[in-house]
Amino acid sequence: MDAPHETGGAPLAGALHRTGVTIREAGPDDAVAGVSPRWVALPENTGEVAALMRVSAEHDLAVTPVGGGTRLHWGPPPERCDLLIDTCCLNQVLEHASGDLVVRVQAGLTMDSLAETLAAEGQELSLDVPLDGATVGGVLATAVAGPRRFRHGTARDLLIGVTVVLADGTTAKSGGKVVKNVAGYDLGKLFTGSYGTLGVITEAAFRLHPIPDDRRWIIAELPAPGTPGTGAVRGDGRPDAPERPGSPPGLDVLAAELAASQAEPSAIEVDWPDARGGPVVAVLVEGTAADARARAVRDLMAGHGTARITAGPPGWWGTLPGEDVLLEVRVPPSRAGGALRAIMARGLPAHVRGSLATAALQVTLPPDVGGSAFAEFVSRVRDDLGRLGGGLTVLTAPQELADRVDRWGPVGALPLLRRVKERFDPGRRMSPGRSVGGI
Amino acid sequence: MDPELINDCVHCGFCLPTCPTYVLWGEEMDSPRGRIHLMRQHVEGTPLTPEMAGHFDACLGCMACVTACPSGVRYDRLIEQTRAEVERTHVRRPDDRALRAVVFQLFPYPRRLRAMRLPLRLSAGLRRRIAPRLERINPSMAAMAELAPAVPARVRLPRRVEARGRRRATVGMLTGCVQGEFFPQVNAATARVLALEGCEVVIPPSQGCCGALSLHSGLQGQAERFARRTIAAFERAGVDTVVVNAAGCGSTMKEYAEILEGEWADRARAIRTVDLTEYLAELGPAAERHPLPLTVAYHDACHLAHAQGIRSQPRQLLTAIPDLELREISESSICCGSAGTYNLFQPEAARELGDRKAERVLATGADLLVSANPGCTMQITSAIRRRGAGALPVAHIAQVLDASLRGLPGVP
Amino acid sequence: MGTKTPDGLVRRLLESLDHRAVITDPVRLRTYECDGLTHHRATPGVVVLPETAEQIAAVVRVCNEYGVPFVARGAGTGLSGGALPRTDGVLIVTSRMRRILSVDVADRRAVVEPGVTNLAITEAVRDLGYYYAPDPSSQQVCTIGGNVAENSGGAHCLKYGFTVNHVLALEIVTPDGDIVELSNTDPGYDLLGAFVGSEGTLGIATKITVRLTRAPETVTTLLAAFDGIEQGGQAVSAIIGGGIVPAAIEMMDALAIEAAEAAVACAYPEGAGAVLIVELDGPVPEVTHQFDEVTRICRENGAFELRVAADPAERAAIWKGRKSAFAAVGRISPAYIVQDGVVPRTALPEVLASIDRLSREYGIRVANVFHAGDGNLHPLVLFDDAEAGAGERAELVSGKILDLCVEHGGSITGEHGVGVDKSRYMPKMFSDNDLDTMQLVRCAFDPRGLSNPGKVFPTPRLCGEVPGVRKGVHPLVESGQAEQF
Repeated sequence: MDAPHETGGAPLAGALHRTGVTIREAGPDDAVAGVSPRWVALPENTGEVAALMRVSAEHDLAVTPVGGGTRLHWGPPPERCDLLIDTCCLNQVLEHASGDLVVRVQAGLTMDSLAETLAAEGQELSLDVPLDGATVGGVLATAVAGPRRFRHGTARDLLIGVTVVLADGTTAKSGGKVVKNVAGYDLGKLFTGSYGTLGVITEAAFRLHPIPDDRRWIIAELPAPGTPGTGAVRGDGRPDAPERPGSPPGLDVLAAELAASQAEPSAIEVDWPDARGGPVVAVLVEGTAADARARAVRDLMAGHGTARITAGPPGWWGTLPGEDVLLEVRVPPSRAGGALRAIMARGLPAHVRGSLATAALQVTLPPDVGGSAFAEFVSRVRDDLGRLGGGLTVLTAPQELADRVDRWGPVGALPLLRRVKERFDPGRRMSPGRSVGGI
Repeated sequence: MDPELINDCVHCGFCLPTCPTYVLWGEEMDSPRGRIHLMRQHVEGTPLTPEMAGHFDACLGCMACVTACPSGVRYDRLIEQTRAEVERTHVRRPDDRALRAVVFQLFPYPRRLRAMRLPLRLSAGLRRRIAPRLERINPSMAAMAELAPAVPARVRLPRRVEARGRRRATVGMLTGCVQGEFFPQVNAATARVLALEGCEVVIPPSQGCCGALSLHSGLQGQAERFARRTIAAFERAGVDTVVVNAAGCGSTMKEYAEILEGEWADRARAIRTVDLTEYLAELGPAAERHPLPLTVAYHDACHLAHAQGIRSQPRQLLTAIPDLELREISESSICCGSAGTYNLFQPEAARELGDRKAERVLATGADLLVSANPGCTMQITSAIRRRGAGALPVAHIAQVLDASLRGLPGVP
Repeated sequence: MGTKTPDGLVRRLLESLDHRAVITDPVRLRTYECDGLTHHRATPGVVVLPETAEQIAAVVRVCNEYGVPFVARGAGTGLSGGALPRTDGVLIVTSRMRRILSVDVADRRAVVEPGVTNLAITEAVRDLGYYYAPDPSSQQVCTIGGNVAENSGGAHCLKYGFTVNHVLALEIVTPDGDIVELSNTDPGYDLLGAFVGSEGTLGIATKITVRLTRAPETVTTLLAAFDGIEQGGQAVSAIIGGGIVPAAIEMMDALAIEAAEAAVACAYPEGAGAVLIVELDGPVPEVTHQFDEVTRICRENGAFELRVAADPAERAAIWKGRKSAFAAVGRISPAYIVQDGVVPRTALPEVLASIDRLSREYGIRVANVFHAGDGNLHPLVLFDDAEAGAGERAELVSGKILDLCVEHGGSITGEHGVGVDKSRYMPKMFSDNDLDTMQLVRCAFDPRGLSNPGKVFPTPRLCGEVPGVRKGVHPLVESGQAEQF
């Protein structure tokens, strides 16, 4: 490679080059939530990441790790960013012990190629990721999860080991490649959802599941708001119940019945694109006798709307409802219906999608919604959700919108989060300011 | 205290949730594991402190821990040995000593108990008025007054009851002290049931206390005397099987061979002690069971369920009665707090346990509580009375079987 | 006096606790000298029995005031000495905090105090058609607070995961005495996940929100008897390889069967060199299909007897032998060490053969009980403590088994925790850098090192120390780690 453009002074660039890692100058496409780095490094293994981090420590460079870059615009911009560590070349499957249902990979591997490798042995990582091109490391750092979180949990539940490189270049691992292991602290948990603020995840090990024999989706369209006799659409933010004998029970009741169903669904999702229409509920059953179980689920849903069984997912399955403005809503499961109604009743063109059973929902609004409308929406919905025992975070929004709100809402453990950050990154060089409370 | 037996404990803690005092107080020293640890401390040279003695005294001897122990620790033997050691070396407070003297000079002697019946009957009406004052002066005396049931008319049992129909066996029957004096109708029912099931029942008149109360309180000498006398009485009666309807007595008699030594141990082994329910289940039904449309809650007496391992037989006998519905009491393996003389010596703990048990018994919504032990019956009845709930009838399983076998409309 | 705690400490404790909740009598204190692992003993300076989170917070603040360490203890059933007291510290026992605060079936969760036993949760929700999934063998005794500290597993974690997968939120008292809520819905680092399994070194859980799992439509429990461990192991591989994830797969070898038989008369098939317990649960059609597969696989791999539990009583009978196996070896050996190690499941045959070689080489019997589905071994190393040198040989064999686990890419503990017992093995599994990085978490939560010090980590640095230079055994570690024999 040619020497980079040395805006930061020759010694610095030289030091970066002496690591032996491929370095290039950053371009406009490399911006992290609007902040442009000076260099991009393309390491190929943990050792190279450590070398980069040591140089960064010596020269006080702020670093942001990036995988597929699919969620680089999520979260607040970093306070500063000198070096982007692009993990695209950390893309090896290190070990797939199919007999042990375990895989160990480098963090830059895309979830798609991982799935391909595993499928060859009839296995999968039961983590549905809503974005194409997402990498293992990115999925962990942002803690995103898809529909099957209801059955298998989220990334933190399937991760059994990690290797990370800290701000000072220290390489550390925790966990291992066995599913059962309680030796030492679980650093993997800590790094899950860390948005690159603690260090760089370079390797990860996961527990796997056999790919189920068969899959069926059961899809039901529920009546639109205002349809007489339905409990699904009261806009009062309270859990509903049948309003009078014989009327179809509401979304909360349906969610509870599905979650408790002996057909053991793997996922129970909802998509509600428009307050003028009704929500669509889709349920996934997997495994032997999926068909028989799907029929049981369909019968259960029959009282709520027209339900049909399909061999494939609905088009919206496992995807985010929007790109530019994205909010995440969490409430206790029994309050999912109430949360949905509270959001849809706010009068903005909101589109909600997500896990009905675990009540983890994503909300999108048009990017041109306007700053004050957005701020009011966030504040009002947060109040409603607070009453339901939940909360709201802003995953992403254009700067002018995001600036008008508190992205995270109240987090009781913030002092502890800050103390963890201070210990791991005392110089505030790891994606500073990208996570809760500006850590 | 046998160090070998102490070493069997691997400190796993499986006994903790079964121990009534641990359930109440959540303290290690008042759990079987903790008490064994105290025994170990003492064996290793720590003098027996009043605190230690207090924790041993607080043990109900319910033996639930013996059932729960996966390592087979003989806690029953250990606590008996420990109690004997406490009696030998520990100097009790004067009031404690006095109370113990009264109890041990009274309960194991049917004739003395009988003498108490009149004053108790007199006091029945006064009980409510004097109870609060007595409670202040001496909680144990208050407990004794509160427990005493209304005393029924005496029932004189014949020396021998002939079998109805074909004779299938000849058995001896223990009448017991408390059972005999406070619940004579239970003994009558027991004899009838045995007879109706084809047993000739021999009831030696010279039998006295089996020694259970003394043994469970560390009075080894008194216990041995009673044991020898009981063995001799049944030897003279010419039976080799003795049916017992009181759980505490049965478990003690089953231990005679271990308590006694030499020739007496051999003589103890020659007599087989069986619980009524154990014996009936083994014998199999002969007489017809008439329907009893009742909802019944069955209470596991510790000395039956834990000390003798008899849990399924009573349930089996009850469910075999047409129209009878059996309900389980939650936390059934936890002692009701009666535990022989426990409710007299540890009245506060006994009361708490009694209340806990009463609550769970009432929660079953049963019409009738079936209990196989006179101590439990008195304890649970008084706890239910304390709660102010409508009285729940309590019967011995012999009475339920008697009613069914005789085709009575209900349990008297 | 016998205690090494500072003057005035007890008086300060009595300001927030009833006198019956503060134990200072030496005879009583000694009953708390060890947990389920009896060869590490230390009499606590003071024992407190709080009933509320506020009381725990007050005790912890008093400890901070005096710079005195504290250790939390539940039922004291741990097998790694995680609740080993400090002679110079306060033992905080949660056995009086055993209320189930709420059960909410609609949200599939229950909120409980730390002293509630694992099984009590299931018992409270069974009639509603739910249960609490993690099921350590000591589930009727061990407390949920202890489960959180140790991230306890159990036979059914093969399919359902561990404590960490079933705890939704915690209220904790931090090592400096603050009450903080951690939730799995909080944004930011997963502190909840890091706290679970931290063995009491990051604080004390005072309120635990657990996930309730729907009771499956059907449960089938199967006992298969094999001539030896090898065939059993092959059957396990074939089952997992066939794409079946049973709720549990457990194996016991001949010696373990003998012990269980002596303890609980479990009546396992006579002549079995190994038994496999396979439990399948889920929707009826799925379980039916899997059952056919599993029985076929067992037969093909040489099972000479197959038993299927027809009802809950028979199911309990099959499990009884397995669940009592640890304590049951007390029936066949005067003394024993329960080991807990993990290997990749496919390495099981090789590792078991190596354990057998070790056993013969050192003349020490080893009974094997293990969670075969996830490679979690529980070798029971038997010895006679009256025999000179036997204890040392048993320790040696036990340690070599852990070496085997690490060599095969496994772990030194699958569910019992590191505690005081295995901290010296940590460097076999982790580098200095790994351990130092874990210490960063410790220092964030507990900069003064007062919360269960001396556990998990070998000779940790103090939080203020500059990395690089290591000193000898730190006084904080040295004291309180009483007799180890």
